[in-house]
Amino acid sequence: MDIKPFTAEPIRVLAYDGTPVENVDRLGIGKDDWLKMYRWLVFARAVDDRGYILVRQGRAGFYAQIAGQEASQVGSALPLHKEDWMYPDHRSQGSMLVKGLSAAEWFGHVLGKMLDPTQGRLMPHGPGRNDLHIVPPSSTVGNKITEAVGTAMAQRIKKRKEVTITYLGDGATSEGDFHVGMNFAAVYQAPVIIFVQNNQYAISMRTEQQTHTKTIAEKAKAYGMDGYLVDGNDILAVYLVTKHCADKARAGGGPSLIEAYTYRYGPHSSADDDTRYRPKGELEMWRTQRDPVTRMRKFLETKGLWSEDQEQKLQADVKAQVAKAMEEAEKSPAPEPITVLDYAYEQLTPHLEWERRELAAELGV
Amino acid sequence: MATVQATKQTQLTMVQALQSALVEEMERDEDVVILGEDIGPRGGVFLITEGLIDKFGADRVIDTPLAEAGIIGAAVGMAMYGLKPIAEIQFIDFIFPGFDLLVSEAAKIRYRSAGQFGVPMVIRSPYGGGVRGGSYHSQSPESYFVATPGLKVVVPSNPYDAKGLLIASVRDPDPVVFMEPKKIYRAIKSDVPAGTYEVPLGKAALTREGKHVSIITYGAMVHVALEAADAMAKEGVEVEVLDLRTLQPYDTDAIMHTIAKTGHVVLLQEAPRIGGYTGEIAAFIAENGVEYLEGPIVRVAGWDTAFPYALEKAYMPNAQRVIRGIKKTLNF
Ligand SMILES: Cc1ncc(C[n+]2csc(CCOP(=O)(O)OP(=O)(O)O)c2C)c(N)n1
Repeated sequence: MDIKPFTAEPIRVLAYDGTPVENVDRLGIGKDDWLKMYRWLVFARAVDDRGYILVRQGRAGFYAQIAGQEASQVGSALPLHKEDWMYPDHRSQGSMLVKGLSAAEWFGHVLGKMLDPTQGRLMPHGPGRNDLHIVPPSSTVGNKITEAVGTAMAQRIKKRKEVTITYLGDGATSEGDFHVGMNFAAVYQAPVIIFVQNNQYAISMRTEQQTHTKTIAEKAKAYGMDGYLVDGNDILAVYLVTKHCADKARAGGGPSLIEAYTYRYGPHSSADDDTRYRPKGELEMWRTQRDPVTRMRKFLETKGLWSEDQEQKLQADVKAQVAKAMEEAEKSPAPEPITVLDYAYEQLTPHLEWERRELAAELGV
Repeated sequence: MATVQATKQTQLTMVQALQSALVEEMERDEDVVILGEDIGPRGGVFLITEGLIDKFGADRVIDTPLAEAGIIGAAVGMAMYGLKPIAEIQFIDFIFPGFDLLVSEAAKIRYRSAGQFGVPMVIRSPYGGGVRGGSYHSQSPESYFVATPGLKVVVPSNPYDAKGLLIASVRDPDPVVFMEPKKIYRAIKSDVPAGTYEVPLGKAALTREGKHVSIITYGAMVHVALEAADAMAKEGVEVEVLDLRTLQPYDTDAIMHTIAKTGHVVLLQEAPRIGGYTGEIAAFIAENGVEYLEGPIVRVAGWDTAFPYALEKAYMPNAQRVIRGIKKTLNF
């Protein structure tokens, strides 16, 4: 399949109904990969659904769902290698799970438990894990791009065959850091993939209120970079485009911008009311006609690779896995109050030592 | 504590001392890289990186596009990956386009990741007035950085300290904002050893001993304090000058020691008074050492305005103002 930048229509392998529009036997990925992708889609959705319930139960303060964007997240993380670096944004749990974060750690993060590798330091936007090369996201929209480029510059300086991927939303492309990051990436030909999930909304603001260009992908041209527009609900297309960009970066071909055109099902976050701004019928249309999980399932069915029995078994397995992960997270202790002073610096400064004595006295420890 | 490996002393300016720190650290550790605007063939606008690109190549002396958010952001990403970046911001007045990356990311990543990721980087930048630089080439914005847990803030006042503090900053595991008093860059020379040595962060220097009154200050203002001390000596007042050298974390023992000794304190800073750094020192003394005080804590600072061009002399604290401050606390 010829993967071209700057197409007017999103790059697609599967039509909305799951019928292939490309010769899927010549994509370099086969049956096992397809099945693996589908399992990941189902798993990511199940974990996310379960996580969101924690807010409704009053056990978590915040949650930003990935529902609707599973193919963008899973499909872009699967081509990455273990040593590659990932800079997630505030809506990237699907990508993090694929990179190696466990569901139990994710739930631990949402609940603010010690099982969270970041020990509950950030609101539940996503944790980080150093050994997996997952950098903790920030809340400042768009500000991790330049860092991701710096990591990629370091990978190039150290002559490692690695790539860095950084995730952002359509809204983040309006921030100055997007421009700065794109420019740095291109100037240094850094092995970085700037992956924009265009879910069509930045809270209530639609993409056309955010930018006057038709696509986000075309912005890459201004920086001397290739920009790819891909159907973000087509996991095969997302996978292939991301792999193409990763291979290119590893071979010294520099950075790429990917715009995955997708749709957010949930409110912006648990604190949002999306009925105020979403046109009637739009959500239903995406859910019923463009769903990324259903599309892949239909594809497997047309290929004769998936049956109702297999579906039920998968759903039951995933349910059990999710329940087990939640149990593990619930059992994990909360961070000790005395640790609130740790990690501001590598070592406590004299002032922090003094504050630690104050706090220890207050806590009676 | 200063680990001096070499004995040969040379009279160097602060520019030369800083350069020798960069060269020695880059020779010692190939993960040390420097990045910034015009730092390559141009050598930086103050020539601190002169010749380094020829010595270490363009992968380690990285001339960057004109974007401070890019410089600081890229440095953060490099540091997390395992390099030791030293970023140069051409003038500290221009750090603000990259401020978010500094205060939201560099400063907080260790805390937010529960210690998993560290950001061992240094941001070097010239600060301060007295060079006819006007509002955008003269400011002293240290209090923004000091108010951000996770950052260390270092301000040398002389060539010897500049070298040893820069080496210590490069080796520090946490992000350091290293503010260089540009007025002092070439104004004085001092003995600087040819080899590697560290001046430890968090330790003040007793620059001048005296028993009647203490001036606590840092950076270029140390020299104003010394000028005032000379003048007061003629009147029989012995002024002690404490150079903080590191503003965050600061040397609480040295502060307690000097106020216990003199009982009178003048706090001197170039930055505007309100919200200024020495307000923190005043509060520390008031909380912990009020029993030693025999007069009010007096602050001498820049006026609470933007930094002027033509009226720079009227703006900057000078020896006369310090002397008035000394008399105010002594004659209480
Ligand atoms: C710099 C900044 N401004 C505003 C916000 C508040 N905010 C959080 S998420 C968001 C919208 C982000 O939209 P987008 O980048 O499209 O990502 P999405 O949430 O749709 O995945 C806003 C405005 C913020 N966190 N950071």
